[in-house]
Amino acid sequence: MLRKDLIYRNPLRVMGDRSDDILPEGGFGAVLARAGLGKTALLVQLALDSLLQNKHVLHISLDDPVKKVCLWYEEVFKNISIQYDVKQMNELWESILPGRLIMTFNVDSFSVPKLDERLTDLTEQNIIHPKMMLIDGLPFAETDRKTLEDLKALAKSHGMHVWFTVTTHRHEASDGNGMPHPLSDVEDLFEVAFQLQPDGKQIHVAALKGGMASAAPTLLLDPSTMLINETDDAQKSSNSK
Amino acid sequence: MSADIKAVRNIGISAHIDSGKTTLTERILFYTQKIHAIHDVKGKDGVGATMDSMELEKERGITIASAATYCQWKDHEINIIDTPGHVDFTIEVERSLRVLDGAVLVLCSVGGVQSQSITVDQQMKRYKVPCLAFVNKCDRSGANPFRVIGQLREKLGHNAVAVQIPIGLEAKHEGVVDLINMKAIWFDGDNGEDVRIDEIPAELLEEANQRREELLDAASMFSDELTELILDEQEVSGQLLLSAIRKGVLTREITPVFMGSAYKNKGVQPLLDAVNQLLPSPPEVENQALDLANDEAPVILSSSEKDPLVALAFKLEDGQYGQLTYVRVYQGSMEKGDTMINVRTGKKVKIGRLVKMHSDQMEDLNRIPTGHIGALFGVDCASGDTFANPGIELAMTSMHVPEPVISLSITPKDNKSEVNMSKALNRFTKEDPTFRTHVSKETNETIIEGMGELHLEVYVERMFREYKADVETGKPRVAYRETITRKAEFNYTHKKQTGGAGQFGRIAGYIEPVSETDFEFVNKVTGGSIPTQFIPACEKGFRACMAKGPKMEFPVTGVRVLINDGAAHSVDSSEMAFQAAARGAFRDVYHRAKAVIHEPIMKVVVETPNEFQGAVMGLLNQRRGMIVGAQDEGPMCAIEAQVPLAEMFGFSTVLRSSTQGKAQFTMEFSVYKQVPKSIEEELVKKAAEEKKNVA
Repeated sequence: MLRKDLIYRNPLRVMGDRSDDILPEGGFGAVLARAGLGKTALLVQLALDSLLQNKHVLHISLDDPVKKVCLWYEEVFKNISIQYDVKQMNELWESILPGRLIMTFNVDSFSVPKLDERLTDLTEQNIIHPKMMLIDGLPFAETDRKTLEDLKALAKSHGMHVWFTVTTHRHEASDGNGMPHPLSDVEDLFEVAFQLQPDGKQIHVAALKGGMASAAPTLLLDPSTMLINETDDAQKSSNSK
Repeated sequence: MSADIKAVRNIGISAHIDSGKTTLTERILFYTQKIHAIHDVKGKDGVGATMDSMELEKERGITIASAATYCQWKDHEINIIDTPGHVDFTIEVERSLRVLDGAVLVLCSVGGVQSQSITVDQQMKRYKVPCLAFVNKCDRSGANPFRVIGQLREKLGHNAVAVQIPIGLEAKHEGVVDLINMKAIWFDGDNGEDVRIDEIPAELLEEANQRREELLDAASMFSDELTELILDEQEVSGQLLLSAIRKGVLTREITPVFMGSAYKNKGVQPLLDAVNQLLPSPPEVENQALDLANDEAPVILSSSEKDPLVALAFKLEDGQYGQLTYVRVYQGSMEKGDTMINVRTGKKVKIGRLVKMHSDQMEDLNRIPTGHIGALFGVDCASGDTFANPGIELAMTSMHVPEPVISLSITPKDNKSEVNMSKALNRFTKEDPTFRTHVSKETNETIIEGMGELHLEVYVERMFREYKADVETGKPRVAYRETITRKAEFNYTHKKQTGGAGQFGRIAGYIEPVSETDFEFVNKVTGGSIPTQFIPACEKGFRACMAKGPKMEFPVTGVRVLINDGAAHSVDSSEMAFQAAARGAFRDVYHRAKAVIHEPIMKVVVETPNEFQGAVMGLLNQRRGMIVGAQDEGPMCAIEAQVPLAEMFGFSTVLRSSTQGKAQFTMEFSVYKQVPKSIEEELVKKAAEEKKNVA
């Protein structure tokens, strides 16, 4: 399978417009789930999709060390290449790696000015020009609105969009609109939000805001590979087209 | 040797160059009555300090190779490993840190935390070595121990607390106040050997009380009993406070700071007391070995006498009686006359003479018990080898030895150097499995190979210093390789039937890339088109081509050759003819199989203060490096990148100059990757030029 096909066949396309990114510059997207459902895996798939399109990715992790994040990428990429029967997997992997940069921060030492400084360092020296930023593990309960607004401004000025992981908890009720607690106060800043919901043996990817239209096929997260798949119905309908 | 293992301390004294580490060791040996006169590092008496036994060390006033020595202080036996203080010898430091249970970090009261202290501290962190800090040189002008404590906190992230305050500083430095027992300590006598304990001078009492509060506050984290006493505003006994601090020290959560001046004989004895009281004994430290029978899975060693022996040879020295091997026993005991196994080679070793070392002097022993450090005579082994009882397959260090990635030609300048050079090489290859040597078949030059530029430089320098072997070095060469990227078929006939004995052989098949192995030969000839007796000759012919690729004369790897057809002549075919046919076929087909050059890519990790993160990333990027990530580690950050070895020459100098010497890096071989086209062209051009020059 060629690189182009892989981009096109990616079910993540369904989440937004088939031809373009889901988020505009400066846009925020969130993946919500309880611990251990596969938020990071989903984020890594979004990143790989972007990398395949030659768009650089800055992955910021606030809890895992660089080594662990690398492992996530290796694992997800391996699963993708098995699932879609990618030939010359090594070459493809080599070609996308230079576009990825992982940065880890201690949760306490993470701040927007610091990030801005690092980012400017990177772009000025032509090391990487990220179009997508992933922030994994930001504690939303302890993050004020100002930080998120600053982040949005930063993302806009660098021409990126940002995806967050948001950990939800069972005991926290969602607000009236179905938006779980950590996001309810800052919901207006987010263009897109997905929630991973376990349903028996499957994990559904449900849109809480933006992204796929209400009539769009439902996506599933395969618990064994953590990859996104379209449901059988959706596949049938897309085949019949 | 002390029977009670709890009274044993294996400690290292490590620090920045010139912060007075060797002087401190010298004083320790004097007070423990191991030596009877004090020689200074750069002393006028020409003897030099006892621990600095290597010529180069005496000359430069630094310690390169770690010598082990032992002494006794108040019923405790202390083994001291004197670790090198120079940044370029970190292999030695890391090796000695493995055998330590605790360490004293010596800092200069004027210079404070310098870059080498940062390096050493990071290594200690890696091996989880509990440590005490000693602020030395309190007699120097500009001394300020409390600034140093601040730096310990900020730069190294230690929870550093003073357990002493100085009585006077600079020229007026007389002694210290012990905040644990609230007593003043003076050092009387010509060499400060008489310790006089007295009441705290009135003018220091207020400061002492205030500092003790801070100390109590920090120590209360580790003892509930202590916290309760403080809350009830009751008197805290020295013993209780000490045991709370000890708990913190063992988990590296607190770093008690001592002070004094080794040169002026102040504060050394209380430091020795602290080593006994605060640093761990061997059973309190968890040591890991690798289980070779179980894919090198880590195994915790028991530190028990009754269990089978596991010991590590951590240092070799060439003495006048042959090779002296320093060992640390982790489990079981080593007894004279016993037989043990060298786990790496599987060979049996009979234990002959066992000694305890005091730098250049030694004392004979009958056994080395668990947790102790000693030395063996007449044992043939390499540094890093593990000794164990027969049947035990545990190793203290990994058995995987990486292939060298860089080579350098060396030529002795005169006859004497030539003899010495071979002696030195023999010794170094034993000490370090990643350092190799061979003689080039073409140029007849001696080639040394290793894991990096600095690695080889250190050995060339040591050759000169220790063995007086003066050698000229060639330019470092990267170990490039060639490989093919696609399948290509061949059908080649070797024919020479004009005059003399004829030669004939036809050989057909294909070559294709293979990733698992370097070379594979498959025979699929059917119907005897090549007679069976000539098949091995074909293989030999192909194999001979692997040593030197037709493209750039680099070794070829990752090739599978399959032959499926051929022809022979009843008279003219011979083994030689088929070998020649195979060589011809390979040369012929090689270019069609799209040969490429591979170069070694190194995993480089730079540890730098945060403010230089951008600059360091820039440096790596300029060197064709691919930055994998940056990890935040408090005041420092670790940047990981994949950089071609060819671009790393001179990196340490550039890195130091652009980070004020505060960054350090480690480099290890990661993988072979294809060289970009533009670089390949350059290589071809360079090779052509060299050929022209030779001609």
